[in-house]
Amino acid sequence: MQTADLAIHWNSQETQPAMTQPTDDLDLIHRMQAGDDDAVRDLYAQYGHRLYAYALRLTDDPATAEDVTQNTLVTAWRTANKFRGDGRLIAWLLGIVHHTAMKAIRSTPQFLDEAEETIPENLPTPEEQAQVKEEKRWVRDGLQSLSPEHRAVLELIFYQGLSLNEAADVLKCPIGTVKSRLSYARQHLRGVLSRTEENWR
Amino acid sequence: MNHEEQIILYAANQLDEQARADFEKHLTDCADCQADLLLWRSVADEINASDSLVPAPAQLADSALEVIHQPNKLARALRSTGQLLRMQMLIIHNELWVGSAALMVIFLAMALLVERVEVLYFFAPMIAAGTVTLIYGSENDPAAELTFATPISPWKVLLARLTLVSAYNVLLAGCATLALLLIIPPQALGEFVLGWLAPMTFLSALALMLSLWIGTSNALFIAYLLWSAQYASLISFGEWFAFASPWLETYRQFWKNPAMLFIFGFALIVFALWSSGRDQVQWRRSIAM
Ligand SMILES: [Zn+2]
Repeated sequence: MQTADLAIHWNSQETQPAMTQPTDDLDLIHRMQAGDDDAVRDLYAQYGHRLYAYALRLTDDPATAEDVTQNTLVTAWRTANKFRGDGRLIAWLLGIVHHTAMKAIRSTPQFLDEAEETIPENLPTPEEQAQVKEEKRWVRDGLQSLSPEHRAVLELIFYQGLSLNEAADVLKCPIGTVKSRLSYARQHLRGVLSRTEENWR
Repeated sequence: MNHEEQIILYAANQLDEQARADFEKHLTDCADCQADLLLWRSVADEINASDSLVPAPAQLADSALEVIHQPNKLARALRSTGQLLRMQMLIIHNELWVGSAALMVIFLAMALLVERVEVLYFFAPMIAAGTVTLIYGSENDPAAELTFATPISPWKVLLARLTLVSAYNVLLAGCATLALLLIIPPQALGEFVLGWLAPMTFLSALALMLSLWIGTSNALFIAYLLWSAQYASLISFGEWFAFASPWLETYRQFWKNPAMLFIFGFALIVFALWSSGRDQVQWRRSIAM
């Protein structure tokens, strides 16, 4: 997968290739290592939205996502000297978000029920369908009914613009697992789509 | 190249120009890939649309910095210990501090007057034992109900008070010892300090433990009796008691053995701390209330 490392990212402002460190990122890390409080504020201004979005995608709960994001900043500060600069800063940060969010999910029982992979049964009524754009609706339902692990892969690749390798690093799993999760997500979403289409008829 | 992956990277805009062009060529005649592309485009659109609508909370960097600058565990433990000690300091009767200091001054004066250090040997442990019987239980604690209503466990409260009172007792006896330098040579100081410190530790521990189980006055009576017994001369009670003399000698040796006194003293303190939360002690407390 040599193409995976090439980076014209979907949503990223920077256009550098994945493996070079933008000087801003290095500067942020050095300032955090030196104990500069403003580095945390700048880091949050730069990446806060993406970190929070990922946390929210994983936890599906704004309050938990807030805690996760805050803890991520704290962990990043405390472990700044462990960042060796062999990957992008955003990928390292998302790795911390992922680890923190998974811990939060595991310690809160109600998440486990929600995370179970079920096809939503309460499909919209015809009246509702008229109001909601159907093609939006099935994707949303489909994504909701995926497990956090599967949602995570899609989020990392489509929104965060991570390569398959980087996604594997964030998820702490082999790249093969990333691929098989993508393949599973495809099957699952296709299932939701066809069921929704049947319902429409 | 596997199309299933290719299509995802294409939809996620992660292919370089060459790969992109090649794939678009393939796409025109492959219905499977076209269907998948629609699927992934919908996913990408939905994820990007919903994520860009997510408002990142404004104050998170500052609240993270608050956590970062929170004192660490040790500093927090020290601070809460300090708070506990200050709180207990206020609860212990003022008379206890003043009274034991006054007694110490009287016995010090007596010791200096008769030029006998034994006076202090005898009374310093008794003063200490007397104070520790007054630190726990509803009969001594004006805020007993409050004390037991706080989330701090009883043994911590007891330990805090014991620490305060013991430190004060050692301080008092230490000051008296310095004053006694008027009548003892400086090189005897170490032995002298050990001479009162060890019995003081054991007698206080014993009195504390007894006060938890049988009340302040009973505890004081028994502790003082046991302490004084070593000075008893059985001969004066008549020939009849003479047979007990060897045992009395052993008993006296115990009070002169610092290692034994410290070991048993600390064991008694541990037992007292353990029993501070026990039912029997609670029960006695409720009777006394
Ligand atoms: Zn194809």
